[in-house]
Amino acid sequence: MNLAREIADARPRVISALAVQFRDLDLAEDAFADAAIKLIEHAERPERVASWLFVVARRKVLDAVRRQARQGRALERSAPVEDMADIFTMPEPIADERLRLIFICCHPALAIEARTALALKVICGLRVDVIARLFVTSEATMYQRITRAKAKVRDAGIAFELPPRKAWGERLEAVLLTLELAYTAAYQDAAGEIDPELSAEVARLAALIAELLPEEPEALGLAALVWLARSREAARLDASGAMVPLSQQDTRNWDFAAIETARNWLDRAAKAGSSGPYQVMAAIQLTHARKAFDGATDWAAVAAMYDALMAMRPGPMIAVNRAVALEKTKGASAALEALDAIEQPRVRTSRPYLVARAQMYSQLGQSDAARKELSRALAQNVPRAERLFLERKLSELAQNPRSIS
Amino acid sequence: MQFMLLINEDESIYDGDEGAKRMEETLAGHMALAKAWAEKGVAFSGERLKLGSTATTIRWDAGTHTLHDGPFAETHEELGGFYIIDVASLDDALDWARQIPVPGKGAVEVRPIWPMEG
Repeated sequence: MNLAREIADARPRVISALAVQFRDLDLAEDAFADAAIKLIEHAERPERVASWLFVVARRKVLDAVRRQARQGRALERSAPVEDMADIFTMPEPIADERLRLIFICCHPALAIEARTALALKVICGLRVDVIARLFVTSEATMYQRITRAKAKVRDAGIAFELPPRKAWGERLEAVLLTLELAYTAAYQDAAGEIDPELSAEVARLAALIAELLPEEPEALGLAALVWLARSREAARLDASGAMVPLSQQDTRNWDFAAIETARNWLDRAAKAGSSGPYQVMAAIQLTHARKAFDGATDWAAVAAMYDALMAMRPGPMIAVNRAVALEKTKGASAALEALDAIEQPRVRTSRPYLVARAQMYSQLGQSDAARKELSRALAQNVPRAERLFLERKLSELAQNPRSIS
Repeated sequence: MQFMLLINEDESIYDGDEGAKRMEETLAGHMALAKAWAEKGVAFSGERLKLGSTATTIRWDAGTHTLHDGPFAETHEELGGFYIIDVASLDDALDWARQIPVPGKGAVEVRPIWPMEG
């Protein structure tokens, strides 16, 4: 493993331990960055990178604290930094505080749009410009958002203690929702312009939560959902850069190790015996993944799960997806009726809605109506990969009115 | 640390006969809360304010000021009272703040207080 990767892997544990010990996110981040630079310049690689970084960073913080305490007095020589004895005498100097830090970054008192950003910045060490791209906002806005969130953690009296278990429900909901937003930003962008490293970080964070909360079925469900989405990343674009819909993807390009990991999480979640929207969404994605093994999709199961999801967490995009599944089980007319029943104007003008309608019209042989819907979708500011895909559909419709799928 | 709990309520819910009864219930809720704090050893203080219509506001703009009849905030939800409590963290403060009775529309703002220097 290369050193940069090892440093990235060590980061969540080291930062969490420092942040909780010193109750200061900025101090923890700065000390970790200094220690990482020291490690890169260090002649030999230590056996345990995380421990080494923790000891060095902690000493940096202590030095800084002592310096502040001695304001105005002449600086003493600070202790030598690489005191390896510290590391070898302690079996495991780092307490695992990662869960605490996740709960702090995702505190419900922080603005929802700042929570994941803060977690990605502090826990995963993503650069602010990268996070800004993930959330489709400017770097300045994102910087301000993260700075505000950090200030609120510092000044609002947010505790650095792990909340009592009874309070986990609300926190966990906030944690999962923020991760879901990050996931949505990373994966529903069909443009394929998302930095793969970024979706990898979101996946790491989701896996981290599944690892830390193995008894929480919805946490496992969300991790499974994110990993299933990632498993199809390599199949989402064709050679020309056009989006490839799930139904036409080459399943040989799917990441079966990721699918297996997700399946194990879902199995574990099922044992807890309490369902929830994330488990259902992941189960839908797993049903799609099974196509690689079964050669076909169990659309009846998918439609039934969308019905369940509508009961749990009714939402416009879920309603659109449910209609698409309905087409496979009850036909295009039933699906069109379901789409017509959706009232929110914002959804009725959204691309997934228009494209779904186009699909139903073309199934029903109404190619003029289908072309109209596709043109309306293309009139929007469409990312390149999706534009290529929709343009191709439009020309197919012109040649063969019932070919759209 | 100390937190201020600012209670903003739509006062119209306390109008009329029904409203008077509701006010009694709300006050009983406040009494119960004060009792809980006393039992738990939470240091607290607080006041109930008269109606927003009794307020007078001094508005400043670049060194000059004007007087206005009525509260500062032009909303239906008036500041009706406040507590200051001394607890360990924001979450503790929020737990208590959730127990403040607000029968109609309203909001409870929770804000940390600057500690006194020294």
